[in-house]
Amino acid sequence: MKNIVIGRYIPGNSFLYSMDPRAKIITLLILMIGVFLLDSIVFMLVSIGLIALLLLAGRISIKRVYLGLRPLMFLLIFTFTFQILFNDQGDELYAASTHFSLLTVGLLFVLIVLWLKTKQYIRFKLLYFLLFVVMGFAVLINIDTGLVFATPTFSVHQEGVNMALFIMLRLIIIVTLSTILTITTKPTDLNLGLERVLKPLSLVKINAEEIAMIISIALRYIPTLLDEANKIMLAQASRGVDFNEGKMKDKVMQVVSLLVPMFIISFKRSDELANAMEARSFAPGQPRTKLHELFWHRLDTLALIMALGYFTFAVLTRVLT
Amino acid sequence: MAIQFERVSHQYVGMDQKGYLAIEDIRLNIRGDGELIALIGETGSGKSTLVQHMNALLQPTQGRMNIFGIKVDNLTKKRKDVKLTPIRKQVGLVFQFPEYQLFEETVEKDIMFGPKNFGASEEEAKEKAREIINVVGLDESYLSRSPFNLSGGEKKRASIAGILAMEPDVLILDEPTSGLDPLGRNALLEVFNRIHEELNKTVIIITHDMNTVYEYAKRVLVMREGTLVYDGDPLKLFSKKNIDRWNLDKPEVLALAQDIENKFDIHFDKPPRNKTMLKNALKEALK
Amino acid sequence: MNPMIEMKNLSFAYTKDNLVVDDVNLTINKGEWVTILGHNGSGKSTLSKLMIGLLRAKTGTIKIDGLTLSEETVYDIRKKVGIVFQNPDNQFVGVTVRDDIAFGLENLQIPRETMLEKIDKYARKVNMQEFMNKEPQQLSGGQKQRVAIAGILAMETDVIIFDEATAMLDPKGRKNIYEYMKELNREGVTIITITHDMKEAVDADRIIVLKDGRILKNDTAQNILKDQETLEQSNLELLLPLDVLYSLEKENVNHDALKEYLWQSSLKG
Repeated sequence: MKNIVIGRYIPGNSFLYSMDPRAKIITLLILMIGVFLLDSIVFMLVSIGLIALLLLAGRISIKRVYLGLRPLMFLLIFTFTFQILFNDQGDELYAASTHFSLLTVGLLFVLIVLWLKTKQYIRFKLLYFLLFVVMGFAVLINIDTGLVFATPTFSVHQEGVNMALFIMLRLIIIVTLSTILTITTKPTDLNLGLERVLKPLSLVKINAEEIAMIISIALRYIPTLLDEANKIMLAQASRGVDFNEGKMKDKVMQVVSLLVPMFIISFKRSDELANAMEARSFAPGQPRTKLHELFWHRLDTLALIMALGYFTFAVLTRVLT
Repeated sequence: MAIQFERVSHQYVGMDQKGYLAIEDIRLNIRGDGELIALIGETGSGKSTLVQHMNALLQPTQGRMNIFGIKVDNLTKKRKDVKLTPIRKQVGLVFQFPEYQLFEETVEKDIMFGPKNFGASEEEAKEKAREIINVVGLDESYLSRSPFNLSGGEKKRASIAGILAMEPDVLILDEPTSGLDPLGRNALLEVFNRIHEELNKTVIIITHDMNTVYEYAKRVLVMREGTLVYDGDPLKLFSKKNIDRWNLDKPEVLALAQDIENKFDIHFDKPPRNKTMLKNALKEALK
Repeated sequence: MNPMIEMKNLSFAYTKDNLVVDDVNLTINKGEWVTILGHNGSGKSTLSKLMIGLLRAKTGTIKIDGLTLSEETVYDIRKKVGIVFQNPDNQFVGVTVRDDIAFGLENLQIPRETMLEKIDKYARKVNMQEFMNKEPQQLSGGQKQRVAIAGILAMETDVIIFDEATAMLDPKGRKNIYEYMKELNREGVTIITITHDMKEAVDADRIIVLKDGRILKNDTAQNILKDQETLEQSNLELLLPLDVLYSLEKENVNHDALKEYLWQSSLKG
């Protein structure tokens, strides 16, 4: 029994849940473009404040949002570090010589091993990691005895700090906004909303209805596919496949023994499903009526207006500075 | 004792985050010396969960198992010193749908897959495949064919061959005859019967077909809502009390034989267990 | 009698020479229950696909309610004939039960108000009204087949074909679906069941025995069951009482009461 939540939808009760998915998609887009127009950290922070208010009013748990951000932690840290280390524009805020010697490199090695061995026991993994990073730098900067073979300067400049913060904040805002959308909208409603919103694409010969139908069928089959994958793995495990272990060569065989049956079953399924759909008078390209209707309310118009308001604000901050 | 269940339960956490017991407090001993056991129960009664414990695909969440000397409980998976994979050579499990298992380019390669995973060399595995293909009722020409071009019944047999080639001591089959035509069904059941009688291996068959149970089984296990409610003689299983209690279908041959005995002045010395025996017994009785 | 389906000289082959359906001539009348009985590989499943133009016949014609099947008429034909297929998972299109029943109605461009009424009505007919928001993985095989039946009933076709619709179900599910077949026929729906299980043929008005793509015999259920020669040729598994009866006949056993009893038991399936 797999315990998978499709998408990140978490049932709840607030105006965000009552909004029409079309309105949510459009306002999200407008807000995102607005955020991209901002060019100062101050306004970014203001925006984050606004988002925090939105989360509160929308009764979305901050914890869930944090969980949605967690996978991005690596990217955030990487960008931050990259900017700090390599951006040398603006005033120099701090500079120090680092010393690479056998001793310091050896100590770094010890620190790395220590971190790898002990991290599983620590609760706040991120802070623990940062602690070790700071210790590493401390070693490199302060220990200058022994045979030193390189002393690159580690410097931090104003622009580096600015860019680091800026990019990080922007990433956080974008991801948080998308997370709000997926937390408050069921995948099927999201699909419906997308279908309507993408309708104008028919001008460039893209059929939004067909795409929505494909997504809908995919959503319907995800649990079935997961269940089948599980059963296939059990069947192959019964023939001696150990999915937890194995060298590269074995892993390839494991994957093949899982994927081939999945593909074969899926091909047979598509054939039978296509027959069943046509038997029920499905004709691709023909108009269809819809069981599900979307209802636009005042709330949605209000949200749209507020999003446009924010957008104007963003444009003004750009134009007036 | 090949497989022992000591008060085994298995709890799943369902999609709704609620736990539910798939099997509960199972006490069961299976010998490795040639039993032929039928395992019956409605869909959802826990049969699949039960047999997946027998080859350690699942481990108990409560209680303990002993499989050919290897002790298995809820902590076993985390231990580095106990490897569960070798158990699957001794206890072979054939799933209901061959599509979940067949994946190689040829039937021969697919049958060889199991033995090779357990250390057989290329030649040894090839030899096993050649031996086993006839046993399941297919001829050598099938070895070079693609498993995906076979009919449903042929796929079934190829998948069974793949497990038989590993030469397990206990063979578990999940609905091995579903989807087969009557000829194929009988042929395959005869194969299992032979494995059990001639090679003295224990065969466990999960089935919905009471006729199969009545004709072949020497022992019946009945699962109901996660518990083992009956473990014993197939003939006694089909007493009126049990049939009413568990809503079982009466085997057709038994039902017809009993009706004939009741309605007409005919008596069978030995209860006929299959069609042929019934027909012969009638011929004798009416002479 | 009003012909509902007429097949004349129908043939079909997947590959060049291997005729899967071989010169089939068949008429099915309105309100009839016809069972097409054949062993695995007899061509029976191909027939349903031919009837609604999912496959194109090699030779021959098909007429449904007077309308000849062709590229132009295929969509109209599909409004008259509904098929419940064998695999419950591979015909369930909707994300929920309600969505799946709606699928055919959406295709037929039924207005939403009417759709809601029909969905409710036919879900009740198959006793699935408590499951409207359930997703397919939460349903048993039998329940999924009931949803399939509801979806087709909602389309209010003239004919319903059950193409081995019980083959993948457990005995409980099989019995349940079979009851629906009987009930629908009682209500006047033209039913075609395609199966290899003789038990599901005894209640039909007519049985057509198919072997290797050809019709062995086309007659009333009673006459077919009496025809030992045809049935033994057909590669089908005989009903137990019938099998016993035939063997008694062969041995020239004299016991009319027993034989009559066996015959009556056979008719009950």
